Amino acid sequence: MSIRNPNSQLELLQGTLDLLILQTLAFGRAHGHAIARSIELKSDEVLRVGHGSLYPALQRLLRLKLITAEDGISENNRKARFYRLTAKGHSVLHAETSKWQRFSEAIARVLQPLPE
Amino acid sequence: MNFFRRRQSRLQQEIEAHIAFEIEENLEVGMSPEEARHAATKKFGSPQLTVERSREIWGLVWLERLLQDLRYALRTLKKSPGYTATVILTLAVGLGATATILAVVDSVLLRPVAIPHPEQLVMVQGQNNTLLADSQIEDLSHQSRIFSAVSAYSTGLKPVVTPSSTRVSLFAKVTPDLFKALDVHALRGRLFRHADTSAPVVVLNYAFWHDWLHAKPGIVGSTIKIGGKEQTVIGILPQGVHFPFGLSAPFVYLPLSHQAKNHNFMNGNYAFVMARMEPGVTLPQARAAAESVLAHDYQGDGVSPKMLFMQSYKTYLVGNMQKPLFALLGGVLVLLLIACANVANLQIVRSLERMEEMHVRSALGASFARLLQQLITESVVVAFSGALLGAAISFAAIHAIKAAYEDAYARFQHLALHPVVFLTMALLALAVGILASLAPAFHVRRQTMASTVRQRTTPRTRLSSALVALQVALTCVLLVVCGLFVRTFVALQHVQLGFNPHHLTELVLLPQDTHKSPTFYRETDAELLHRFQALPGVQAAALQSSLPFSRYQFYMSSSTDVSTRPFRNGDSASYSIVSSNFVTASGIHLLQGRGFLPSDDGSKAIVVLVNQAFVHKFLTGHNPIGVNIKMHSDPGDKPSDKPLRGNMTIVGVVQNELQGGDLGAAFQPMVYLDYAQLPAKSGFLSVFTICSQFAIRSTLPQGVLRNEIRATLKRVAPDMAEMEIQPMEQGIASSLSQRRLALRLVSSFGAVALLLSAIGIYGVLAYAVTLRRKEIGIRMALGSSRTGVIHLVLRKAAWMVLFGVLPGMAGAWFAGRAVKSFLFGVTPLDPMTETAVALALLLVAALAASIPAWRAARVDPMEVLRTE
Repeated sequence: MSIRNPNSQLELLQGTLDLLILQTLAFGRAHGHAIARSIELKSDEVLRVGHGSLYPALQRLLRLKLITAEDGISENNRKARFYRLTAKGHSVLHAETSKWQRFSEAIARVLQPLPE
Repeated sequence: MNFFRRRQSRLQQEIEAHIAFEIEENLEVGMSPEEARHAATKKFGSPQLTVERSREIWGLVWLERLLQDLRYALRTLKKSPGYTATVILTLAVGLGATATILAVVDSVLLRPVAIPHPEQLVMVQGQNNTLLADSQIEDLSHQSRIFSAVSAYSTGLKPVVTPSSTRVSLFAKVTPDLFKALDVHALRGRLFRHADTSAPVVVLNYAFWHDWLHAKPGIVGSTIKIGGKEQTVIGILPQGVHFPFGLSAPFVYLPLSHQAKNHNFMNGNYAFVMARMEPGVTLPQARAAAESVLAHDYQGDGVSPKMLFMQSYKTYLVGNMQKPLFALLGGVLVLLLIACANVANLQIVRSLERMEEMHVRSALGASFARLLQQLITESVVVAFSGALLGAAISFAAIHAIKAAYEDAYARFQHLALHPVVFLTMALLALAVGILASLAPAFHVRRQTMASTVRQRTTPRTRLSSALVALQVALTCVLLVVCGLFVRTFVALQHVQLGFNPHHLTELVLLPQDTHKSPTFYRETDAELLHRFQALPGVQAAALQSSLPFSRYQFYMSSSTDVSTRPFRNGDSASYSIVSSNFVTASGIHLLQGRGFLPSDDGSKAIVVLVNQAFVHKFLTGHNPIGVNIKMHSDPGDKPSDKPLRGNMTIVGVVQNELQGGDLGAAFQPMVYLDYAQLPAKSGFLSVFTICSQFAIRSTLPQGVLRNEIRATLKRVAPDMAEMEIQPMEQGIASSLSQRRLALRLVSSFGAVALLLSAIGIYGVLAYAVTLRRKEIGIRMALGSSRTGVIHLVLRKAAWMVLFGVLPGMAGAWFAGRAVKSFLFGVTPLDPMTETAVALALLLVAALAASIPAWRAARVDPMEVLRTE
């Protein structure tokens, strides 16, 4: 299933993580730990390998210019690096979300027992 | 660099902050501090992996790796300074020598002509420097489909009065078409027009105006005195036009008149021809056209089609430099090959020594490509260091060559390390670096693949041995050529000069005013000769038009009838004009008959002396004394063409005296004429209007003699300019200087090659001994003696030399034939030289092998067996 599309589209499992990050950031800026915490709440599968795997994903999204990073102070007065969606990030999130939803729905239909 | 580090440290800080957040949360839910930390780090996973993965995403990994490789290469190279220094110096010497010779070749052969479309210019003359007649030149110029312009010129030397002093300048008498053919225009004023042919006008070259007239503005229109005659300056040539000799020395151009009235052989209506071919016309086409023109009947005047000699202007300019330079280039390329083989060898040996490291790195997951990149990086670092050092060496060498030989060789004043040459060298260094690292890299690959069986076999060093054999072969070639040059040099120093140069001083004078009658100059010379002989401390003085080693030699070649045999084609002899006492004054041995006597002067019959070569060519088996000779006339020749009519009687035979300035030149048949006997109308007398040459024998110190001579000149002939005054022995020494330069270069190539070969042999043997320690230990444990072990190593050295020397001798034979024209007194296949070279190589190999052999003999069998 892991066929990489050249057009910066997201790989399936990786894509899940990327999409979750983008969704998290859709509500506003957040630092790495907050993103990890939020993803953990949504899905306990994705970050099972460790919070560390979040950071390469962040680097990838930075490179694709879907998010930007800035230094700031956290709610408990710590220096932290905050990420925020770009305009491009917003549109990609929108497109990917609908695609992802269609895909999930399709899978859900396949898995559902057919009505007799 | 900084950016990469900053980005990475920022990510690490971020990771730390993330873990700190997690710890804080864990503490809040009531964990103990250790528990909190433990749980947080566990939850995060490996920070290192996170950083690794992120860096992959950042990309530019190759650049980082490159920098890493560079740092690593520098570090490892620093750890083995001996190896690094050897490789860098080897490359520096090889590349430096190559770049220097390439620069010389580039400056001298490849970019000599600063004239538009020089490839269209051709020089037309007859063989043996015979010249085309006026009517022939005229007819050539009508071949307008082949030649766009045809011009004639003749060259010579004339004294010129400049504001600061009287100096001698080169001149060319040229037809107005010359500058049209060259396609150059005046920098100031104008060039010749057809109306100028008989006007007293002159065109100066840039160097004359700049160096001698200090670039004075307004010089056009003023007059300068050339050869005793006032001439009006009408124009100055731009810089870079150095026709015809390619010299940037001061030079003047005078109009060549087509209608010269006096018709004698020295300044008659003959000239060199330089023509510009129409675009698209090739040299063979031009030659065919010229031959068809010359096939017309010119009543024996000028050049016959068979004797036509045509060459491009470029070949004419660089012709005599071409062969020695290409020979040198060949030599230096051989040296470069040796250097490359040596570098490759050193790298192979080194990479074998590093097998352990490579195996470990390969086991830790380094790919073959990664190892290759590492090796190439290291080679390139070394190669570029070598190239840089080589460039410095060559820069210094070029400056030294320029300073030393600028005056001696026409083109060396333009010598420089051109960017193209430098670039070529940098590319060469890169190619050498990559090629040299490929061999070891593939070696590593093979070894890695065979790593499982490695422990049980003794690794071979076959490739290295082959490279050493190649080095030995190439060194052999260079050394043999070097030996041949040494033997040539020695042979030249023992050439029979035919005269006694000891205490002999040569003096060359040039009349400043060349417009008086030839007999006037003869009388001046007679008076001078008389005064020189009377000087205190002077034993003898003689007049001789072809003084050995003088740069102003005059002798005339003419086909000659000898009364004892019918005339054959090619029966030609040279004629030199001397004073009656020249035999005793020069210390020439009289072999037969008598010398000139004062009583000869008055008599009507002309008597002459001939040399051994003359007797050998024309009079073998005859008594030469009393034989009559005569200048040969072809049917149709006008008697007035001959400088001397009537018979000449041989009264004596002298030993061959060296002719010209080349010790290696063959002796030509020579006829000596007494200047006092020559009839007043003889064309030979025009020699005296050009210059006078004296040989003065004196035991006085050179300085004292000079002062005496100059004082005499001032009193008797103030109008004579002194061109050359030097002891004959100095002339001999400087005539050897070109050979000495070649010898020095070739022997330095040979010495470097020998050194490199020694390093190569040592490197391979030293490594072989390291590899075979175990085997040697076992051999010794089984009863082999220490001498047996030494033999083992020496035998390997002997094989490498043998496999190199045999093909090397064959190569040397080819090389010897290629440089045959530079040899004298030795054949290209000289057994003595080749034996000496083979012995020298064996000796050097033995020396190079002695250290590894000694190390092998000191192997302790017990120690080796214990480590097994």
